[in-house]
Formats: sequence, C-alpha cells, structure tokens
Amino acid sequence: MTTAIAYATAVEALAKASPDGDAELPLRPGQLPRAELLEAYHPDAGAQARVPLRIGPNRGDPCHPALARIVEGNALIGDVDLAALAPTSTDVLVIGGGGAGAAAALAARTAGAKVTIASKLRIGDSNTVMAEGGIQAAVGEDDSLQRHFDDTIKGGHNVADPALVAQLVGDGPDVIRWLIGLGVGFDLAGNATGGGRLMRKRAGGTTAARILSHKDFTGLEIMRVVREAVELDSGITVLNRAPAVELLSDDHGRCAGAVLYDTDHRTFQLVHAAAVVLATGGAGRLHLTGFATSNHYGATADGLALAYRIGARLREVDSFQYHPTGVAHPPHLVGQLISEAARSVGAKLVNGLGERFIDELAPRDVVTAAILRECAEGRGIERDGSVGVFLDTPHLLKDRPELLEKQLVSLKHLADRCKVDPYEEPLMVYPTLHYQNGGVAIDRNCATSVEGLYCAGEVAGGIHGRNRLMGNALLDIFVFGRRAGIAAARQVQAPRDQHRIGLGHVQRWQRERMRAGITDQLLSPVLYPDYGNFELRSHMAAGREG
Amino acid sequence: MSDRIRLSIDGRELEVKPPVSLLQAAASDGTPLTSNVGCMGQGVCGACRCMVRREGEKAVSTVLACETSAEDGMQVSFIDYFSPHRPHVYDVAAITDSWRVADAVRDIFPEAEHCRHCGGCDRACPKGLEVQNGVALAVAGNLADAADVFDQCVMCNLCTLACPEHIWPNHLGLMVRRAVTALTLRPVDLITRLDEIERGQQPITFSGEDDDDAADRTANRAGTPRKG
Repeated sequence: MTTAIAYATAVEALAKASPDGDAELPLRPGQLPRAELLEAYHPDAGAQARVPLRIGPNRGDPCHPALARIVEGNALIGDVDLAALAPTSTDVLVIGGGGAGAAAALAARTAGAKVTIASKLRIGDSNTVMAEGGIQAAVGEDDSLQRHFDDTIKGGHNVADPALVAQLVGDGPDVIRWLIGLGVGFDLAGNATGGGRLMRKRAGGTTAARILSHKDFTGLEIMRVVREAVELDSGITVLNRAPAVELLSDDHGRCAGAVLYDTDHRTFQLVHAAAVVLATGGAGRLHLTGFATSNHYGATADGLALAYRIGARLREVDSFQYHPTGVAHPPHLVGQLISEAARSVGAKLVNGLGERFIDELAPRDVVTAAILRECAEGRGIERDGSVGVFLDTPHLLKDRPELLEKQLVSLKHLADRCKVDPYEEPLMVYPTLHYQNGGVAIDRNCATSVEGLYCAGEVAGGIHGRNRLMGNALLDIFVFGRRAGIAAARQVQAPRDQHRIGLGHVQRWQRERMRAGITDQLLSPVLYPDYGNFELRSHMAAGREG
Repeated sequence: MSDRIRLSIDGRELEVKPPVSLLQAAASDGTPLTSNVGCMGQGVCGACRCMVRREGEKAVSTVLACETSAEDGMQVSFIDYFSPHRPHVYDVAAITDSWRVADAVRDIFPEAEHCRHCGGCDRACPKGLEVQNGVALAVAGNLADAADVFDQCVMCNLCTLACPEHIWPNHLGLMVRRAVTALTLRPVDLITRLDEIERGQQPITFSGEDDDDAADRTANRAGTPRKG
C-alpha cells in the first residue's frame, strides 16, 4: 500500500506554497522525460496491459485483456431465436444514437436513403452530450489545416492513419458550418454577436488555439440540436431502447442488417438493410484496469464485439485514454469528468506538498501518467480513502473570479455536487477512463473490411493513434458520421441477395472459437455495465411472466 | 456517514449506504437498469427524471436522479421518458427570413400564445430555468432573450409534460435558439478559412508518411520490451 498525504496537511501545504495567492507555484524538480514517464506509469504500459487475440482478423495482435474476453466472446443469439421473426427493411440502419449516429442518419437522409436509427437507450444518450470542452477546427488566422494535422499526428504518437487525419482536419471548418446551419451556437470572441470571430481555446498538445465551444457544455448544445433534427425528419425511423445484439450477414459475408432487442416488449426484432453504420461509441463502462469512468452508461464496447465477430479488422485496441482530471472525492461522484477547459484557462495541478509536477497542458496521457506517478510515490492526497491530487481552483479564481460563471459553468455545477467551494477549496482529481483510442479499422469513407458495414465515432480506430487530443472527438464524430451516412446511402445501389440473410458468420465464429480452444462462455455484446443487473435470457423470461 | 438509509423507489423499499445518487440507489437491489439512465451523474442528458417527495414534506418535486442524493425516507417515482407524436414539426433550413423568425415561432408553436401562467413549467424544471418567462419572451418576439433563457436546457421534457396547453416549452426554446443561430451566426474567421480551403490554399502534406510506415511503427511499439 502506497502512502499518501492527509487532505488537511495537503491543503495547508497548498496555502503555504503561495501565501498571497499570486506567486507561481514551484515545479517539482526531477521531471522524467515523457516517454519514460509513460512507460513507467501509464495504464496502457506494462506486462498486464495487453494479451494477443486468439481468433478473428486480428489474431496475434495485442488487445486489452478485459476487452479481449468481450471481442472473443460468444454470440447472445442463434438461429433458433430468429425462427418466427418477420424482418423489417430499410436502406440504411444506423446503430447508436449519439453524435456520430445522428450525423450518419441525417447525411444518409440528405443523400436520399430511407433510414432507421436504433439506440440502446434513447437517441441522444451518449458520450456526445457529456462533452464539455469543445470541438477542434482550424479556423484561426494563426492556424492552418496543416498545423491541426501535425498536432493530431504527433499527439497520437505517430500511429494514426495520415489519410484519416487529413480527412478529419480538412472537413473541420465545413463541419462547423454544417452544425451552425442546423442551429448549433458557438461562442464568439469578446462580446461580439453574429459576424465576429469565433472564440478559440487552447487544448493540451496543440500549437494554436483551436477549440471552439459553447460555454463548457458544447456537447449538450450540439446533441440537443442534432437529436431534434433527427426526430423531426419524417424519413428517419427512430427505435429507442433497442440495442443491437448481433449483426446479420448474407451468403457472401456482407453485412445485411442487424438483430435488435426490443427492451420494452422483450422480443427480438430483425432489420434488413443495404448498409449498416455502427456508431456505438466506446468502452468506458467496462471500467478497464479497475478505473472509474467519465463515460455514459451505454459505453460497453458493443460495436467492437459485433464488428469483430462478423469479420471487421480492429486496430490499437490496447490503447485507451485516461483523462487526467476525474473527480477523486466524494466517493459517489468518482470518475465524473472535470473538463480540460479548467486547465486550458490556467488551473494548475498540485501534489500533496504544494508543488506542481507537470506542464498541465501536456498531452493527456502524459498528464495522467504524471498524476499516477505522484500518487505511486506517496505525494498523492488522501481523503476518506480516496487518493488524488489537487486541481488548484482557488489560485485560478483569485485572479479571475468571473471565470466560474462565464466559462466554467459545468465545473461550478460539479463542484456544487462535490460540496466544494472552488473559490476556497481545491478539487481532488484522479485519472478516469475516458476514451477508446483505437477501434474498428476504417477508410476515409468509414468502410470497414466487411462490405456493407461502416463505422463512425469512437467505435472506429485510426484517427487518434494512441492518444486523442481534446476537441478532436467531437470533430471526429461529425466528420466521419456524415461520411459514413453518405457512403452507406450509396451502398443502396449495390447488388444483394435478400434470401440468404442470417447468422452464417456466427456459426463460423463458433467453429473458430472451438478450434482455438476458447472455453470462456462470456456472451457479447454485454450491453449494460455489471451494475445494470441485465441478463438477456432472464430479462426475456421476466417479460413473459409479467 | 456509515449509517444506512431507507427509501422507496417505484414502490420498492430499499436500504442503501449513503452517499449515493437516486440512480445508484435504484440499481442497488438487482433491478435491471435498461432505461431512464444516461450520463450517470453529470446531469446533462435529462434521461433519469423522477418525482421525489422528501420525508416530512407534502410537496413533490421533479429532479434528475443522477444528480440527486438519496435521503432517508424519500419516496421516488421515475417518470418514463415521454415521446409521443411530435406536434411541432419544422425544418430549420426552411426558416430563411431573419426578419420574420417570430412569425415562424407563431406558426410552429401556435399554443405558446395561450400560456395561462400557471408556473407548472417553472416548478417542473430540474435546472431552475425561467421557462414560463422564456415562452413569454418568444411570444413577444424577443428572441435573443428567449434563446438565452433556454441556454442551459437539457431537454428532459419535464416542462412539456407539465404544460396544460401543450406548448412544449423546451422544444419552443430550442427552435428559437436554432433559428436565431442558423440565420445570424456568420463568424468571419470561419468564412475566410472555408474560402481558402475551396481555393486550394490550405494543402496538407503528410511529411513523407504513408499508411505502411504507420503500421510498421504500431508493430514496433507493441513489441518493445517494457521496463519493470
């Protein structure tokens, strides 16, 4: 058990370190080079962080051990479950109701397709709505697409697919125009209205101020608008509370629809489609490596399991982002996100000795590793059994008290719920599982290695390499969500065999599992976190009793 | 802190150890949690709406379960999310005259003029927004101020549920915000950059990188021996 410094002692140390409140806090000597820091302290590093996959298109490739169990898992359903079901049919089936799914649905509609969008919970329930900081787009005079490209490649440790990154940054300004056209508001610099300049914030790991925002609830502003646009479109059928439990394939191995579980009627529903867009998001609610998460309730890697089983290639599924500043105290709010916006306007991270220990605007993985190092070496702060470091809001707000009301509204609400007065008391923070860096491999049009299957948003990989920059996820979901919708709509013209649609890929998968000697009977997708108390068969049985 | 508390959620008597949110309490007895749940504590998605009566109080209030702490003696009922037919249908792109947005408001939300000032929406709002005032501002054509009232709305639909005139206040607020933004927000820096892109003045070079290089590096990195 590593030691930590008691909360009261640490608060005193912080006060002493800057008695007048305006002196610069000292930076702790003995900084490690970034690469060394990551190797020694980041959760992605170390012998326990990955196992080779045993079956499927990525056999032999590294994967997070808990995620490997899920993507190698057995299917929830078999042919017998589909026996008496009459399929419905649509041009494009979008699975997932967050920003990427909504964008895909809207874009496929504009391209002339008939669209069904299925959401596990309710359309809009997603990580998108929770995004606070903002969205990157290179619009500044001191900025360029090239700089955005270089920052993203570098931030991702040079393993992102350059073609995807070029598409990401190149579509950025047009995505902002598209969002404004739908009615999404962005803050302007100064007090300008209408035709002023966009307010731009700095993100960690970037060379120009590039984050556009709507206060510090940008994701909410965007999601409520795109959800409204989807719900008001008569050509889009919205199926809520209908998680996908399996994809459908045809004789040629193409993706041809999906099996949904209608949680209200507790029955399966077959949807045939010319193309499927998977936009199921990430994996935070799997609580990988025991971390708390900032993610939405639905983030259980469903899309990775579905895509892998039907034969889509994955990439960098051993790489996750642990956001540096999750709430560490009080216990019932652990993992909730404190936006990078706080650090981008100047808040410092401080250990139990009243020392800064890292450049707060270094890339997220570096800052996370630095916090874990402080805690591992006994300079963390302990309160009611929780350990973390301080986010020094008192010093930030002493000079600029107006920040809390104007730019850090969400931080203010969160501090309220933590029962902390951010003017007086620092917040306790600890890294929280935030983002799946890798995912299903796609090309610039979101096509996967399986014909008829497209992926967009967090479920897709290759855009962020092994570390994502703040604001690039909101951009990613709209750039690639729109492209997926357009490409999927085009697939309507492709020839297909309507008579042979079923679970052929599941039978092949089960033979492969047997040959590899996999005996783990875990069924996937898991659909809900452990504490969701959901088991498909007993849920269905309870419906029959009722 | 360590004392357990008792409360009733959807008719189930529960005993939990505080501090927990109402949402955490609701799942603590093994009941499957497949709906009326979303962001799990941030209070931004509006999915976990419920009615709450606190011990010793007569009044019932509406709150979001993820951001409300469970208290001893609470009676809680989740309100299933409300999604009937949509009476107020519009396409924001079809609102093209920035001088006549107020007319569009009247056309799409004709019930808004019938507000009877009962305050039901204000009491229902878990975010404490001045919903009724927002409706009045929109009806009066003061669209910028109306938009401002609804700026922090999470679209939980509780005001829509509470309104006896079927005004759908949160959707009215969103429509006003969308129309005003879509018609007036024209950032000069964005326009300039879009123009540069269209003219080919924003090229991106990959610095000699290609997909194969990137793939090689992935393989190397995964294979690098790690320090203990």
